Amino acid sequence: MSLANIASAKAQPSLLARLFARQELALFVCLVLVLVFFSVTVENFFSVRNMTNVLGQASLALTAGIGCAIVFISGEVDISIGSLLATIALPLIIIMNDTNSLLLGVGGALLFGLIIGVVNGYLTAYAGINSLIVTLGTMFIMRGGVYLYTGQRAIPDNTSLDSFIALSDGRLFNVIPYSAVIAIVLLAAFGYMMQHRPFGRQIYAVGGNQEVARLAGYDVRRVKFICFIISALLATVAGIILAARVGSAQHTAGLNFEFQVVAATVLGGVSLAGGIGSLTGMALGVLILQFLSNGLRGLGLPTEWQLVITGMIIIAAVAFDEAKRRRANGG
Amino acid sequence: MSVDFLHPGEGAAVDKDVPALELRGIDKRFPGVVALDNVDFTLEPGKIHALMGENGAGKSTLIKIMAGVYGKDAGTIRMRGREVDIKSPRDSLKQGIKVVFQEIALISEFTVAENIFLEGYPTGKTGSIDWKKIRAESAALFNRIGFNVDPAARTGSLPVSQQQMVEIARALAHEARVVVMDEPTSSLTPNEVSLLFTVIRRLANLGIAVVYVSHKLDEVFEIADTVTVLRDGRHISTKPIGEHTNDTLIQDMIGRRIDNLFPRQRGAAGSKIALSVDRLSTAKKLSEVSFEARAGEVLGFFGLMGAGRTELAKAIVGYDPITAGTISVDGQRLAPHDTRTGVRLGIGLLTEDRKSEGLMGELPVYQNASLASLGAFARLGFVDKAKEHKAVQDYVDRFRIKTPSLFQQVKNLSGGNQQKVLISRWLMRGLKVIVVDEPTRGIDVGAKSEIFALIDRLAGEGLAVVMMTSEMPELLGLADRIAVMCEGRLTAIMTRDEATQEKILNAAIG
Repeated sequence: MSLANIASAKAQPSLLARLFARQELALFVCLVLVLVFFSVTVENFFSVRNMTNVLGQASLALTAGIGCAIVFISGEVDISIGSLLATIALPLIIIMNDTNSLLLGVGGALLFGLIIGVVNGYLTAYAGINSLIVTLGTMFIMRGGVYLYTGQRAIPDNTSLDSFIALSDGRLFNVIPYSAVIAIVLLAAFGYMMQHRPFGRQIYAVGGNQEVARLAGYDVRRVKFICFIISALLATVAGIILAARVGSAQHTAGLNFEFQVVAATVLGGVSLAGGIGSLTGMALGVLILQFLSNGLRGLGLPTEWQLVITGMIIIAAVAFDEAKRRRANGG
Repeated sequence: MSVDFLHPGEGAAVDKDVPALELRGIDKRFPGVVALDNVDFTLEPGKIHALMGENGAGKSTLIKIMAGVYGKDAGTIRMRGREVDIKSPRDSLKQGIKVVFQEIALISEFTVAENIFLEGYPTGKTGSIDWKKIRAESAALFNRIGFNVDPAARTGSLPVSQQQMVEIARALAHEARVVVMDEPTSSLTPNEVSLLFTVIRRLANLGIAVVYVSHKLDEVFEIADTVTVLRDGRHISTKPIGEHTNDTLIQDMIGRRIDNLFPRQRGAAGSKIALSVDRLSTAKKLSEVSFEARAGEVLGFFGLMGAGRTELAKAIVGYDPITAGTISVDGQRLAPHDTRTGVRLGIGLLTEDRKSEGLMGELPVYQNASLASLGAFARLGFVDKAKEHKAVQDYVDRFRIKTPSLFQQVKNLSGGNQQKVLISRWLMRGLKVIVVDEPTRGIDVGAKSEIFALIDRLAGEGLAVVMMTSEMPELLGLADRIAVMCEGRLTAIMTRDEATQEKILNAAIG
């Protein structure tokens, strides 16, 4: 039983029918099919090493995807996260190089992320500008700023702090990458918030029907504002891990990352219209795309084809979803 | 100090002498309109206070000010003698003012139980939501009220009547001092209405002040202690219900007397059969419905909620698919699920749901009216605007549609005038049969009589009018013949002279 399911226990249809009606199960079945298919067709695909590697690769999208999904559920979008990944690496690396302290660097990065979240959130929730436009704008501004500041050269990390390197290479019990551990912990925490804390349910309510949420006494603007801050902070965490991985601040870091995350989130059944979807679904969406990409590469398929296939899968998944929803609403 | 419907023993006694809520000198202006002009409204604890007035009288504005949706421009609000500042729905809820709005205000993706506790989730020690309590309390709440709704159901999957019950239950889930119900019975069955009335009386007994907004005079006479009437944004009267009769109440509401709500102008119906329906069945609801409607006749269909009136209306105009049977307009067969042929043959539907199935609110009056007959105004594939405007203007004059111009967005018109625009659309197309589904839903008394006159006139002009209604007076006042439905079947068909309320109700119960 998924977290969200607890809320709707004791319904009339059979358990099986209810499970199939749930997005997460269908996605889980898809994930298993992907794993089985490539385990059979690709050598060494189903090995601890490959599985944990893919998990590590997926951790960036998993972490930032939490924020992306939460903003979607609130009825808005945030596409500034890719640029944010590149941008926060600047304060991180610069402060670390100056102070030789990972903690201060991370603090600086989070502060920067917070500011971006406040800007996105304020312009959307309080100034009333469409969030697609706001985050498209901040996306360009940040990317341009990074190009200008770095002069299109990478700024390397000169500290070689063990703790920083561990963020990219380290593995818990020598098995699971720390980045994946971080992603899983964050997923569990925010997943719990979304299903079992009043604030999480307020986000669903605001995205489900803003006017109804207002009449129920919710501060709709504040809820949305906070969602953008959450999204920016989580993208910052992803950006810190990425910077550790490449050992520098790079102007091209996170290019197109926002679209990978949006694709996985949508595949995971989180509706752009708001109020629908879960973090579990988003996570399954990320894993499906990541394992698919890994498997296709194992089959020797060029990256170009991976893009084509990913695109087709997303459209098919959303079309399927839409058909199901229409039937559920008796249309 | 407030009272909780679910835990009535826990609230302290209510001071009967201090008004629960007192609004004094409330002004509210919108651009170009004075919505409320120095309105006073006082609610006594334990009393049921009906708020009446035509559409546009200011009822909803007043309710929305109480609910914190709008701010007031002037005036004071006192809760139990203390002045309060209500700036948002949150402030209003905190004061214990619970409003059941006419439009369903629920999150459709949430379960019924979660919607009930939307404004404040019960939480455990850690601040996490206590789902078990939510389920148990909402089940207990429905039990207490006597509504039959599954708390675990996804709200959006429920029929509108059940959603309305959820709305009502939600207002009672938290402590309340004032409960406002805005047309709460619009989609409830008579049985559910009587349950609601029991609940309302119980609320009053607990010392809660109840505001009851309704267009239905019989309901108001049955439930209210006091009636306040607003007209054109002004307070007209506040009287005990005992001092009112139907006539005085209507007079207060519209400022003049309506001697006859159903003025019959037309002559007797012709004998030509305009619509013939033979053993019509649909997958979900209808089974073997057969009837004929003659030119110049109003054939009224009565039935309780779920009897299949709307389904029948949609099937006979070719809107919905059918599984068996035939439909003929003027002797020509209408293929099911084919509105194009339907329009060509001259059968049209005046929908009960004007907003989503009838009008395009953002578009101007003339475009809404000419929509079905653009072909007639076309020259070389372009619409001849001058011709189009002239045709629409004819209807605006003929039906006395109140609109500042042809270019006014139709959403800004009153319900009655919107209905007239829709009728114009179909008449312009050259109609033989018009199916009207609940023609006066959400329309106030004054405009109702205009719609009745209009229906009378349509029949007078030789159209066959098939009218679906759940309002007995409307049925008896307008129809030449009366057909009664129950659970998708036709259970009786009688002439107006044969019909009595008892006969009709008996047939409707089946």
